[in-house]
Amino acid sequence: MAETPNVRPIDAVTASVIQGALENIAVEMGWKLMRMSYSSIIRESEDFGAAIIDRHGRQLCESKHSTPLQSGPIPGYVKGMNQILEERGQTLNEGDVIIHNSAYHGASHGPDVAFIVPVFHGGALVGYAVTTAHHLDIGALSPGSCGIVDAMDAYAEGLQFKALKAYDRGVANEALWHMMRDNIRAPDMVVGDMEAQVAASRIGAERYLALIERQGLDTVEAAADALMDYSERLMRQAIEALPDGTYRAEGHVDGFLDDPDRRHFKVAVAVTVKGSELVVDLDGTARQCDDRPINMPLEGTVDCAIWLTVRSILLDSESFGHIPQNSGLIRPITIKAPEGTIANPTFPAPTIARFVSGNIVADTLMKALAQAVPDKVSAGVGNLKVIAFSGIKDGGHWVHMDIHEGSYGGRAGKDAMDAVDTLYANTRNNPIEDIESHLPLRIARYELRDDASAAGRWRGGIGSIREVSFLSDSFISVEGDGHAFRPWGFDGGAEGREAALVYHRADGEDIPFPSMMPNRAVKAGERLTLTGTCGGGYGDAAERSADAVAEDVRDGYISRETAESVYGVIVTESGQLDTAATEARRGSG
Amino acid sequence: MKLIGVDVGGTFTDLIITDSETRESAIHKVPTTPDDPSDGAAAGIAALCERSGTAPDAIAHVFHGTTISTNAVLQYDGAETGMITSAGYRDIIHIGRHQRPQNYSIMQDIPWQARPLVRRRHRLTVKERRVPPQGAVLEPLDEEGVRQAARTLRDKGVEAVAICFLFAYIDPTHEERARAIVLEEWPEAFVTTSARVAPQFREFERFTTAAMNAFIGPKVRNYVRRFEDRLKQAGVAGDLHIMGSNGGVATAAMVADVPVITLMSGPAAGVLGGAWAAERSGRRRLITFDVGGTSADIGIVIDGHYNEATARDTWIGGYPVLVPMIDITTIGAGGGSIARVDAGGAFKVGPESAGSEPGPACYGRGGSAPTVTDANLVLGRLDADNFLGGEMTLAPERADKALTDLAETLGVDKHEAAEGVLTIVNANMANAIRSKTVQKGLDPRDFSLVAFGGAGPLHGAEVAAMLDVPEVVVPPHPGITSAAGLLTTDLKYDQIMTAFQVKGAVDIERINRDFARLSRDLMAQYEAAGLGADRVEERRAGDLRYVGQGYELRVAFPAGELDAAGLDEVWQAFHALHEREYGHCFTESPIEIVNIRITGVGRMPKIAAPPEPAGGSLAAALVKTARSVFRVDGALEGYDTAFYRRDALPLDDPIPGPAIIVQKDATTVVPPGWSVRVDRSANLILRQGEEE
Repeated sequence: MAETPNVRPIDAVTASVIQGALENIAVEMGWKLMRMSYSSIIRESEDFGAAIIDRHGRQLCESKHSTPLQSGPIPGYVKGMNQILEERGQTLNEGDVIIHNSAYHGASHGPDVAFIVPVFHGGALVGYAVTTAHHLDIGALSPGSCGIVDAMDAYAEGLQFKALKAYDRGVANEALWHMMRDNIRAPDMVVGDMEAQVAASRIGAERYLALIERQGLDTVEAAADALMDYSERLMRQAIEALPDGTYRAEGHVDGFLDDPDRRHFKVAVAVTVKGSELVVDLDGTARQCDDRPINMPLEGTVDCAIWLTVRSILLDSESFGHIPQNSGLIRPITIKAPEGTIANPTFPAPTIARFVSGNIVADTLMKALAQAVPDKVSAGVGNLKVIAFSGIKDGGHWVHMDIHEGSYGGRAGKDAMDAVDTLYANTRNNPIEDIESHLPLRIARYELRDDASAAGRWRGGIGSIREVSFLSDSFISVEGDGHAFRPWGFDGGAEGREAALVYHRADGEDIPFPSMMPNRAVKAGERLTLTGTCGGGYGDAAERSADAVAEDVRDGYISRETAESVYGVIVTESGQLDTAATEARRGSG
Repeated sequence: MKLIGVDVGGTFTDLIITDSETRESAIHKVPTTPDDPSDGAAAGIAALCERSGTAPDAIAHVFHGTTISTNAVLQYDGAETGMITSAGYRDIIHIGRHQRPQNYSIMQDIPWQARPLVRRRHRLTVKERRVPPQGAVLEPLDEEGVRQAARTLRDKGVEAVAICFLFAYIDPTHEERARAIVLEEWPEAFVTTSARVAPQFREFERFTTAAMNAFIGPKVRNYVRRFEDRLKQAGVAGDLHIMGSNGGVATAAMVADVPVITLMSGPAAGVLGGAWAAERSGRRRLITFDVGGTSADIGIVIDGHYNEATARDTWIGGYPVLVPMIDITTIGAGGGSIARVDAGGAFKVGPESAGSEPGPACYGRGGSAPTVTDANLVLGRLDADNFLGGEMTLAPERADKALTDLAETLGVDKHEAAEGVLTIVNANMANAIRSKTVQKGLDPRDFSLVAFGGAGPLHGAEVAAMLDVPEVVVPPHPGITSAAGLLTTDLKYDQIMTAFQVKGAVDIERINRDFARLSRDLMAQYEAAGLGADRVEERRAGDLRYVGQGYELRVAFPAGELDAAGLDEVWQAFHALHEREYGHCFTESPIEIVNIRITGVGRMPKIAAPPEPAGGSLAAALVKTARSVFRVDGALEGYDTAFYRRDALPLDDPIPGPAIIVQKDATTVVPPGWSVRVDRSANLILRQGEEE
């Protein structure tokens, strides 16, 4: 029999009961936030997080609806808040609600604002109920909160809330709320979303307190310890199964392709496995960009990208099922990034557009780990792009964010996931029928790219084409990646395809746009074509079964010409596999 | 009038026959015949007629709960399906909402990509395009293109076609025209349109629903026809009605056309059956708790009304489905749920289940994993000799072995381990109930838990205790409650339409026009089913949200013509509901009417309340006294526990726990500190504390 972990039985039962109760709380918080909120970025894209944090600052549970980049940083928000409060000599009281978004104090970036409700039991602080959410606007230099790619420092990114009391002992801090309304575009929507966050965080606090009252504080804390130990144990077992050694990889972020001094930022990853410990060192990563927001907070973005990747590979929920998402999971992982790099910038370097860089950290880490666990990774993953659309209608601002998906690379024994949000992002698109019913936009096409799948024994993912027409004069800004570097192929698989963005002017001229572009005006009748990234192929194309290639041709994923020239598979015009011709062709190499 | 209910489950087909004059009912259980469930069902009907001395031609209606459509989806075993869709949007059902089902997984499959309902080769596009808000034609329908596509699909061997155009929910003319063309070219095809199946915005979900309807269409159509044939051959005169997910039945013809409405057929019948039983005892606020071998289905019924799941929460086999369904929470927790200690040392129960083959270790069919049933047996809560009315003997030594092994891993004795299994599975069920009550602003202390299904009455009391639910109701035949539920339904059809109208600028005339159209369409459906308007009740409602929100709440609309005062009531009702659901409302914010809908309720004959039980005596009911193990105030102890036969219990005479009530189709556990009595409606009523 395998080594039996040292678990006291009553703890095992109670731990299981309390785990269920904790998760139920986080789910309820997330669910209520999502349903009450106004902006599509929260309610449709699900770009929010919800978690309960214990009094030591450890995460006990998270909402399964949330996107990893939102729930993951929550312990960091709490830590950053406490640090600031301590510096100021402030204390938390019952009834307080704290607003916090400082990217240099645990926040993921400015637009991801946390509302933190401290939970008191018998007068003592016992934990925190926290929601985070991406807000459409926080008063930056141009409308929206994506595509603010010309913010030159943290001050240009919008309002900075450094551990402020939005409610002080239950009383609203009116001055703060007025200031927000006065400095945020589309204040009804944004403040409405913030109120939804406060309500959801308060529900979480109420439920956590009820759990403590039902089970007793000691029991809940003992169970929480056991749950964290459990998650840690699983992670250590998974790391121990890796061969000791150091695995290295490099990746690149586009940066500002139209600016020779601010593009092609390198991300270097060295993963060292030693026993059950894993060290991720980003030494060699590009120096920070002092005046453009490509930089990533180490706490809040880089760490989340790393935790997510390690967990998704080593404790893949497809085979491990549900594992409590808590701070125990990250104990065996150490992260190092030299100060002054894009992965650990110094204040006030701007960070608002850190979204795409973090996904390159995740992808590069996977590339490094691929050497240790080739059968648990995908080939290179295609990065994403966010377009912020805005305009003036009926005297107010309208703002809409469209996240254009990438795709994954091929996997051991499986083709890739096509046209999907990737790595630490997992948002949802907006229905075309919703967008066109409510905004002066038309989505004129939304389909997979033609003949673009990266070849491999297991083919790479196929990105999508999305065409947007403007029905009124509007503004757009772009925060994306993937125009300059192709997702990596693995083990003989082909490289994937880059993304592209083309602007079709009314006069017929087509203008390619870079992947990062500050706010600019567009006119009614003009169009934009977004072409999404395609992930890399996995394994040698010559080893892909001829039947699978013929199926790809029938489904229009690849052309007959590609089948022949790349795979050496001959498919007739009617879609039949020509076995003899294929054997002749493949046999002859 | 004689009615039959037939509920086909995974292992057994449950049958009930009732006579509305004598109020007498008889029940029967036969093995399910998976290859063609109508086989077993027909045999069961014949046997039940014979047993009850009923001539088949005296049966007025047969009501049927089926898993045929659900299984086709779950087993990915449907028709070769084609789609004709708007040019430029071939891959809507492949891209979906571009979200991965699992956050933390590289190796996951995305259901709609790994198991497409329509493969890409069969998704053909034609030129056509409408635009909101009125559905103006931007691009006329390319009729020749449709004709060509129909021929291509036919020649490729496709059996069913879904026609899916953007904005068809505003104006279905293009879809209808395309459907007519396909049928001209290819009359025997199963053709469905997105607006017929789900006339609501959100193209991925609507197209997927239409594709699923086509995917399961030929199979269900054939099944329904075969079932009808068998009934005819058996001499049954009455019509076949099939249970829908919305809590009503539909005609066989309707289901043959829109099979996607039956995906939750069985669980829906369970909610109705549980409610029917408990309401006879005067209970009005109910948590239905239907526990079988692999899953527990939980529903909420208040004053005879159950909630419908919101369109965003209805999924089958990982695919979204936009059809009205009773709001039922299903979790993987049942008698067959397997207990284990995983590699990290966590103690887990379910969702994996031993099912009925091999089943729990104590079934002696080769299963060795400890299950919930084994735990109940080890704790002395099941009688090995009185399982399924003695038709099946359990092997306690095998349960013992399975739990002893588990206990060793945990380092405790077997009773601790067994009780741990029950505590975990009960907590999972209690959490699911909490998510439907506490989280929705409902206080469980105001509710009764209606426990049924083979395993519900075993767990009811302890789950209720976890939630402070004061009382448990166990229906007369817990194991066939779903079949009985089939005999409590009405013919229920829904008409839905997306409206997108905002407070302050509502075109009341348009809403009334739209309602009138929905009403006409609805009545046409009832006429086709042979029901006149006088037998149909209309319920109007709307799906509302604050402008900008993405989720709607269902609000009842006043009957008849809507006016300004009526509309004002609707706004107020929405604020109140929002407050109840989320603990918060925004009275200053504008509200949007997203969808309007009419639900028709066509009265059908029903099962009558059973006669009052004769009542026996405790002495006559006593089977034996044995040790059963319970945890009381933290201590796990054996108690001398009386086992009673349910049918011999005295009427209205409270019996203190611990006690175990056995009957053919279920076992009811009455823990120490609880009492039980048989009430005049033939339900068991379990209460915590002394009966007053």
